[in-house]
Amino acid sequence: MSSDQVATGVINLSEGDSSLANEIKELGGEELMECIQCAKCAAACPMVLAGFPFFNKRIIQAIFLGLRDALLDDSSIWACQSCNRCTEVCPREVNPFEIIQAMRRVAIREFALPTLSIEGLKSLYDTGHAVYLAGAGNTRAKVGLPEKPPSTVANPEALKELQAVIRKTALADLGIIPMDESGVKETCEV
Amino acid sequence: MPRIGVYICHCGENIAGAVNVEEVRKYAEKLPGVVLARNYLFMCSDPGQELIKQDIKNGLIDRVVVAACTPRTHEPIFRKAVEDGGLNKYLLEMANIRDQDSWPHWQDKERATAKAKKLVASAVAKAAFLEPLEDRFVEVTRASLVVGGGVAGMFAALDLANMGYKVYLVEKSPSVGGNMAKLDKTFPTNDCSACILTPIMVQVGTHPNIELLTYSEVESVEGSVGNFKVKVRKKQTYIDWDKCTGCGDCVNACPAKVPNEFNEGMDNRKAIYIEFPQAVPKRAVVDIEHCLNCAKRIIGTQPRTHSKTGEPILAPCEKACKTGACDRSRAYNPEGEIVELNVGTIIVAAGYKVMDKAPFKEYSPQSPNVITAMQLERILSATGPTEGQLKRPSDGEKPKTIAFISCVGSRDKRYHTYCSKVCCMYMLKEARLIKEKYPHIDIYIFFIDVRTGGKDFEEYYNYCRDLGIKMLRGRVGAVDELPGDRLRVRAYDVDLGAPVELEADLVVLATAIEPAPDLEELGRKLGITCGSEGFMKELHTKLYPVETSVKGIYIAGCTQGPKDIPESVSQARAASSAAAVPLTLGKVIVEPLISEVNQRKCTGCGTCVQLCPYSAISLVEDKGRLRSKIDEALCAGCGVCAAACPSGVITLHGFTNAQIHAQIKALAC
Repeated sequence: MSSDQVATGVINLSEGDSSLANEIKELGGEELMECIQCAKCAAACPMVLAGFPFFNKRIIQAIFLGLRDALLDDSSIWACQSCNRCTEVCPREVNPFEIIQAMRRVAIREFALPTLSIEGLKSLYDTGHAVYLAGAGNTRAKVGLPEKPPSTVANPEALKELQAVIRKTALADLGIIPMDESGVKETCEV
Repeated sequence: MPRIGVYICHCGENIAGAVNVEEVRKYAEKLPGVVLARNYLFMCSDPGQELIKQDIKNGLIDRVVVAACTPRTHEPIFRKAVEDGGLNKYLLEMANIRDQDSWPHWQDKERATAKAKKLVASAVAKAAFLEPLEDRFVEVTRASLVVGGGVAGMFAALDLANMGYKVYLVEKSPSVGGNMAKLDKTFPTNDCSACILTPIMVQVGTHPNIELLTYSEVESVEGSVGNFKVKVRKKQTYIDWDKCTGCGDCVNACPAKVPNEFNEGMDNRKAIYIEFPQAVPKRAVVDIEHCLNCAKRIIGTQPRTHSKTGEPILAPCEKACKTGACDRSRAYNPEGEIVELNVGTIIVAAGYKVMDKAPFKEYSPQSPNVITAMQLERILSATGPTEGQLKRPSDGEKPKTIAFISCVGSRDKRYHTYCSKVCCMYMLKEARLIKEKYPHIDIYIFFIDVRTGGKDFEEYYNYCRDLGIKMLRGRVGAVDELPGDRLRVRAYDVDLGAPVELEADLVVLATAIEPAPDLEELGRKLGITCGSEGFMKELHTKLYPVETSVKGIYIAGCTQGPKDIPESVSQARAASSAAAVPLTLGKVIVEPLISEVNQRKCTGCGTCVQLCPYSAISLVEDKGRLRSKIDEALCAGCGVCAAACPSGVITLHGFTNAQIHAQIKALAC
């Protein structure tokens, strides 16, 4: 069921996946059931203004009804900017941002993630930065900064530690990105 | 010449917001007979009343006109002030410039002010003719009648009985218990309904001060507070209840099958039946309409004799009865028996009825798997048709998916505009009971608003949601029958902003709470009006919630409107304490605003006798001629007789011809 169908078609609740709510609770959305759909989070959400079909309140309702495919087919959950205003204003301490995060974890388990995310993850593994541009060193030099920022890129030991940590996460099991122990790279290959 | 004082109330902004009070005061000052006119922010307050008292004490005035709000609630207050000032309290006249003027004419200040002047002028004109009157006292019969043996009626009866007063408890069913006896568990604590109710039923059945009249209905009510004369019809049971022990042998023997009201028609009872196993009193009743008259045993006839044995041929029920309670030879009167009761006060707790599913064609009421919540209640109950096993009616299978639909007939202009108040909670309760027992059953509740206002109710709602009961905002538009006894529920999920559909095995309709059948008729017998929704009206929503417009008659429970059990019990106990006041005092004040016949001039035409709605007037012989006589205890002061008397010899005190004429004349000029 795609987002278009949600907008136009009839949702068959009988096909809902009732295990989704529990999965979300296990993956960090512990307070899911506290949500009473008051929509205060939606009133504060930039995704609503940007016109995404699934924003915090609707994501939660879709989870209640087990609309797993509808959420996975749509890119909305990746559009959350993590501004966390929803979490701040929620009167029920639902923590809607955490629920979106948990939904992203569900999506990743099912490889339903955007290509951009894969690139970001690979860059994170290779350099310690989700975004690290190849020409960044020159630009930095021009303004009198060292070519590499004082982060993992400039610190092979720290990057090794980071990579070791990432290899211990679920990401390694999923095999979304290659995780060789190649050492520090200047930039991400992508 | 009477010296009249006029007191005009601002009622805060209530009156002064629409009426130019100062203008009215100046106008009143110049009316004939008026010696002073004052205005004040709140006349009913202590300083307001003090104005009246001081003016009387200072000898300035001897008649009082108060232009303020409704006399219904405030006349007694101002009468007391007049009396405290040292005048007879009936030398007061009120002009209702709030309900009759400032409220309806809020948008037109000029005309509201003009109308206030007229109303004040007419009150002043009448005041000039006021006469002092003396209160009368009537002895109170120290007994009470409670109509309705549900949880509210039983608590009202028990409280009065425990105070030491005799109580007659009239219930139309064979047993007390009411709707609560049908419930499985009760929110918000999920007590087993039978476990908490049956001990109360037993107390009612055994209390020495309570006379239980079940299978009985109120036939007529006469009299007034302190002395009501009530006729109760004990319906014919066709069983000698003095001999019946409730053993149930006759029930087992009876071959007739009749839809069982107690199980909401989901199974059958016999034509001779005991209402339910825990009934109080536990006695059998013959449903004569459905009795098959086995062995041609028509009530009141002698049995035929067996051609060979010579033994009488009896019906199975008669044969089974060991005590002789079931004797079909007895010539029972089908009309039953009229019992006359004298009581001082009456409490009406006539309960409610749950709306049937039939009118809701869009929800496939013809499907056996579309049931009302009350029917589900019986399915869940251990004493119900499935002995508490969750089975759907069509095939006895356990449903896998259940959809609840709220507000069926409530908040619906085609049926009932009000919120039935208990449905949200009873749906949650039933869903919870099912979910706790069978966690794998999918439950959806389609609602408009979840209304769980009440002590511990919101917590209950949260708990239910945490169990995984799915809540969808959006009224269900259709329930369609699908092959294989499945039902398709179609709605629009407001929270998702999308149409949804669901295949369910069982659909439960939370149908509306309706007034009890014949409540309006009972109201007519008692002189109590029912509101537009059919529930009985209290005297005042906030201040007199258990009183009615008839003194000495009180209401409790769903007679007044939809209520849950805690509220019904609270109101019942409030009603019993209000009903005990006249019984405790032993006498009640009767206003002297009643009619009197000048017997010397009466021609004995009898017109008044026919018209009196309270049967207070009769023709008595006086010196060889019939003349009408009014029974002071029965007269309610309605004035019909005074208006109708062709000779003009009936005076309604407080509303004499001179007073009324003066009042009309002032309005007309």
